[in-house]
Amino acid sequence: MTALDIAADPQSAPRLPVRARDVLGSEWTKVRSVRSTYWILLIAAVTAIGGSTIIAAASTGRAGHSPFEPLEPVFIAWVEYPVLAVGILGVLAFTAEYSTGQIRTTFAAVPQRRAVLAAKAGAVGLLTLCFSELLAFISFFLSQAIVSNHGGLSLAHPGVAGAVLAAGFTLFAIAMVGVGLGAIIRHTAGAIAALPAVIYLPLVLLSLPAPWADRIGKFTVLIAASQVVSLHPKASLLSSDLSMLVLVAWPAVTLLIAALLITRRDA
Amino acid sequence: MIQVTNLHKRYGSVTAVDGLSFTVRPGHVTGFLGPNGAGKTTTMRVILGLDTPTSGTALVDGRPYQEMIRPLHQVGSLLDANAAHPGRSAWCHLLLIAQSNGIGRHRVSEVLELTGMVDAAPRRVKGFSLGMRQRLGIAAALLGNPTTVIFDEPTNGLDPEGIHWIRELFKTLAAEGRTVFVSSHLMSEMALTADHLVIIGRGRLLADTTTERFVASSGHHDVLVRSPKATDLAPLLVGRGATVNGEGDALIVAGMDAAGIADLASEHGIAIHELVPRNASLEQAYLDLTGESVEYHTGVPSMRGAVDR
Repeated sequence: MTALDIAADPQSAPRLPVRARDVLGSEWTKVRSVRSTYWILLIAAVTAIGGSTIIAAASTGRAGHSPFEPLEPVFIAWVEYPVLAVGILGVLAFTAEYSTGQIRTTFAAVPQRRAVLAAKAGAVGLLTLCFSELLAFISFFLSQAIVSNHGGLSLAHPGVAGAVLAAGFTLFAIAMVGVGLGAIIRHTAGAIAALPAVIYLPLVLLSLPAPWADRIGKFTVLIAASQVVSLHPKASLLSSDLSMLVLVAWPAVTLLIAALLITRRDA
Repeated sequence: MIQVTNLHKRYGSVTAVDGLSFTVRPGHVTGFLGPNGAGKTTTMRVILGLDTPTSGTALVDGRPYQEMIRPLHQVGSLLDANAAHPGRSAWCHLLLIAQSNGIGRHRVSEVLELTGMVDAAPRRVKGFSLGMRQRLGIAAALLGNPTTVIFDEPTNGLDPEGIHWIRELFKTLAAEGRTVFVSSHLMSEMALTADHLVIIGRGRLLADTTTERFVASSGHHDVLVRSPKATDLAPLLVGRGATVNGEGDALIVAGMDAAGIADLASEHGIAIHELVPRNASLEQAYLDLTGESVEYHTGVPSMRGAVDR
């Protein structure tokens, strides 16, 4: 084996512009070529589907409980574990690279670091969005099948389809917050520690005096999410539309901070 | 072509690179030498746009790396053989790098073949030896068929056959008109590979010259002479213009060659028991140059003094 196998003319290097598709394709290969992705998705799927069916089954036993909120079992199951799983998937997109040194290979191949951030968010985002919506619909149908004798709602019922989509969107939004946190913190353990702090902020706020828990709480991810998946949003909190805005703002702001920092720091 | 101009890089209070300027030209293998902690890796990281210089510039083909689009077609690099996700297969590792620069799968197969990694391609990097990781890193560096290659200590962990292979690779790449920039802390390694040397210590340039000239300029040639009549021989040598040092029956003679000394001794009937011409090795020249600038001194101050002079 000799170096002579290298194509001869060193001057023939093409000078084409960076293409989003190239970087996105590269990031997609990264996501699909490590086992952690499959483990995380498997655990998220089991806890989401398993959790929502168990919660739905338990709710049928409660006398006088009528599930006006068809997404309630799904949402409760979501909050218990899958939010963390997809958040960690997002976190690892960057921290796995920083901890293995792969990030230097990545930035040497694509010096446009914000393009890398965008492509990572795109690849992880596409995967988690499709996955989460799938999970949301499966969980919804299973849990409704269980409660069908007790006033279950079909997808055709006004507002239900939107609520199911919103539930899926919640997981996606948290995965994106994870990508941003990973890029900002750059250490797996640190970013994974920060993730639940962001997600479970409402629990921390509960210790505030009465009106303040709601006043601040309505801007947190989970409370905003509970509003958008609800057919009867609480009047004391933000409206569904404003809550959706909150749900978009969290990943947007996190990724924006990441975009500002990523070009300023040494890799 | 790599141009580094008045480069400074500080990490907090630590100055890693301190006003470094040099040019690496195409068509040569340029060795980048310095003791550990001299700033070699930092300089390479700045060249590759991974670290931002505190001041000064580093340009490849006249452009800062950060401004390059699909840079792998211009610059291939290997900074750290371990800079790969351990859970990913060699094939996927190369594929994702190729994809990011619009390079096809065909080329991935080519570089795997070129580096002798075909059989290892489906295996995960986790199980690779350091030598295999180096080969994988070199494969990645060659993906874009670049005009400039930058390697940081590429022979670490390679077996003798691998080292021989990599030397031939560098020479071939240079012969093809590419710019080849290779760091090492081993002078002996570079002596066999590089035809040009950039030597730094504590972030400063110590020498920027051809390997040949470096050896010649630093050379101190002398002859070790042992004779039972050394005390008689010494003044005779000095009388011929030589510089003589030594004690007992051993003399270190500079300024005369072995033949001249032997003839002179023979003329005066002086027996010679040992006559050894000595050339300063490249390693010695390097130690002399960098000795003052070693970042991490060993706790044995007499080490350098012990080297025979």
